[in-house]
Amino acid sequence: MSTKLLVMVTAVVLLSACGGGGTTGGPKQGDKLTVAIGIDPDTLDTMRQTTTTVQNIVQMVVETLVRVDTDGKVQPLLATSWQTSSDGLSWTFTLRSGIKFTDGEPFNAAAVKANLDRVLAPGNTCPLCGPFRSVSSIDAVDDTHVKLNMKKPVAPLLGLLTEVTFGFLAPNTIAQGTDTFKDQEKPIGTGPYVLTERVKGDHVTLSRNDQYWGSKPNYKTQVFKIVPEAATREALVRAGQADVILLPPVSDIPAMQKDSTLKVILAPGDRTIFLGFNTQDPSQPLLQKPEVRQALNYAVNKDQIIKSILFGAATPMDAPMAPTLFGYCKVGSYAYDPNKAKQMLTAAGASNLSIKFVSPTGRYIQDFQAAQAIANDLSAVGVKVDGPRTMDWPTYLGTINVPPARASVDLHLLGWAPGYLDASQAMVQFQSSSWPPAGLATSYYKNPEVDSILAKANSESDQAARQADYCSASKLVWSDAPWIFLWVQRFPIVTTAKVANVQSIPNESFYTMYASPA
Amino acid sequence: MITYVARRVLAGVPTLWGVATVVFFMARLLPGDPARVIAGVLASPEDVERIRKQMGLDQPLWVQYLDFMGSLLHLDLGTSAHTNAPVVEEIGSRLPYTIELALVALAIAITAGILAGIVAAIRRNTWLDLVISGLSVFGVSMPVYWLGLMMIILFAIDLHLFPAAGADEPASIVMPALTLALFSVGLIARMTRSSMLEVLGQDYVRTARAKGAPFRVVVFRHALRNALLPIMTVIGLQFGALLGGAVVTETVFAWPGVGRLLVDSIFFRDYPVVQGLVLMFGTTFVVINLLVDLTYAYVDPRIHYS
Repeated sequence: MSTKLLVMVTAVVLLSACGGGGTTGGPKQGDKLTVAIGIDPDTLDTMRQTTTTVQNIVQMVVETLVRVDTDGKVQPLLATSWQTSSDGLSWTFTLRSGIKFTDGEPFNAAAVKANLDRVLAPGNTCPLCGPFRSVSSIDAVDDTHVKLNMKKPVAPLLGLLTEVTFGFLAPNTIAQGTDTFKDQEKPIGTGPYVLTERVKGDHVTLSRNDQYWGSKPNYKTQVFKIVPEAATREALVRAGQADVILLPPVSDIPAMQKDSTLKVILAPGDRTIFLGFNTQDPSQPLLQKPEVRQALNYAVNKDQIIKSILFGAATPMDAPMAPTLFGYCKVGSYAYDPNKAKQMLTAAGASNLSIKFVSPTGRYIQDFQAAQAIANDLSAVGVKVDGPRTMDWPTYLGTINVPPARASVDLHLLGWAPGYLDASQAMVQFQSSSWPPAGLATSYYKNPEVDSILAKANSESDQAARQADYCSASKLVWSDAPWIFLWVQRFPIVTTAKVANVQSIPNESFYTMYASPA
Repeated sequence: MITYVARRVLAGVPTLWGVATVVFFMARLLPGDPARVIAGVLASPEDVERIRKQMGLDQPLWVQYLDFMGSLLHLDLGTSAHTNAPVVEEIGSRLPYTIELALVALAIAITAGILAGIVAAIRRNTWLDLVISGLSVFGVSMPVYWLGLMMIILFAIDLHLFPAAGADEPASIVMPALTLALFSVGLIARMTRSSMLEVLGQDYVRTARAKGAPFRVVVFRHALRNALLPIMTVIGLQFGALLGGAVVTETVFAWPGVGRLLVDSIFFRDYPVVQGLVLMFGTTFVVINLLVDLTYAYVDPRIHYS
């Protein structure tokens, strides 16, 4: 090509680049964003929800006093500020004014009270209410101020209130005495989107709320298609028939990362995956020795399993909880060292250890496959492993969620994801008051020192003191090793290259609120 | 005829009662605590107990059974433990999709299967017969999961001909119906072939040909009509199987039918939905069997029901 032509072509290219993005300045607007999810929502009533992905969708319609941002930090939403009393027994929230529900009702303290009274109402089902049940009453002080009174201090209250369980539905739609007081499947909120269609088993459609008080989303509608098979979800995003998918087949992640038409996001999560020891079995006295449990921690090659079996979709644990939680501090590592494991086992008189091992299948990323690799690692240091046996989830829960007297396995694989990113919900696993059936501390761990530190931290108002407490408790738990600490699971999301600004929140949530065409 | 139908319908009632009883007890034999599964792992024991009460699972077994039977007499299938919606609504919102898929798949399977079977019978032991028999075995043996995904890759991703999944567009039914039909085609083709071969060897067929009847008349009016009875039995059973057994197809193609609902409900220990669905399948089979028997009378004038 002649030099003159080359100069002309370059000039044209540069000029068109100048003219392109400058005029509007904002993100591109789009008509429809299609997101493929794997589960069929059981209920759209925020009070009754238990599944993060379903809450994720409804959070685009129903808002809360505070929200979690993409870094996992609490930010104001419908509340602009808050204060606690010095004894921690009451919290007062100042509400944003001038906001309406999409049915025209005003958002005010009365609306907040109506919703919070509803989740606490004795006949109502609220599986994620948890520590909120320590709230004894809610006062609508005036239109823009709400006071929550508590029976005892609830230190993680702010984090708890980010859950859409405590979101606000239009009061006329949840009136007492009506069926919808117990179950409202057509939620009307104050959020950037409105629920316009739900076809069971097929999809949920949200349409933009053009009267939204905050920044308006860029997509006019977002459609959540229910596609239970991971391989089919991958097919949809490859064919361009879905813009965003959750949880693709993990083994295809490397190929998708190399594909320039796709974007793979290995979003940070909050789900720790671990192997719980039965620490209270009189017929397994060796497992009651921390040195034996530490030895088995050294026996598992976590890095290799994450690389070859999870295809990079996890990060090894370095504390009893995920780094995204308030109260996390890095405690240590049990780096893979089979020789050290063997030495420690022999020193503890445990060279002939024999254990029964169970794992779920399909509940966590590559759970059963990883369990098989772990069984190999344990055998390599001389442990006789019976298993891993597997079974469907309800049977599995029924096997491990039993009091110590009825326990039948020595080692079980489990995941734990605190919904509101607070150490109190993670450390529940190490409180002796949470042994099944009262809770799900399936290792039956009991350490009075840990119990008292946690009791203090869970009601402490000083956040710095709480942080320090959880850190000390974590160190004790780490060296006691009631678990083989495995990894923190990531939350894989794949989008086409034609969509931009798809983000995530570290509690296994996608954040497509402000996504836009690329 | 009317009395025959009435008697058959009445005879179906104890059958369905048996089905209801068996599914009631089998569901409750499954290990695991439904209340805990539905409440989730983070729920408090009080919440779990509240849900258990709502589901009626705190009552003794015989009380639960009598409650269940009582509701059935009122044609009340109860409420889903998982979603809190009436079981009738859960099934009713998904059933049309399954029926549509089953009918389309069956239509493809009947047309292709009978034609293939006839061709294989007429051209017995030629290469055409071998190809058709081979394809029949392929159809019956191919795993739906693999075949479905292969079709998605080829027709949706590579060729952009069909939607990869879902039930949104008219074209969405093509791939799932073809995948589902493949098994039935193989079965119907082989049954047609063997039934036709048996009939084609009969004396009256030789007489018809000797009389100079056109080939078409010999095959369709004389041979096929007489070969139809066993083929119809297979078709009837296949329809019943397609209604309930399309789980893998529905899962791979994200088709919102009742097959998936059944599997999900078992995983969630949602007893009312499992019971409702199994009862529905049982009723369907009773009805289909009756219809197939009635069609016998239509096809074969020698058969009389009194």
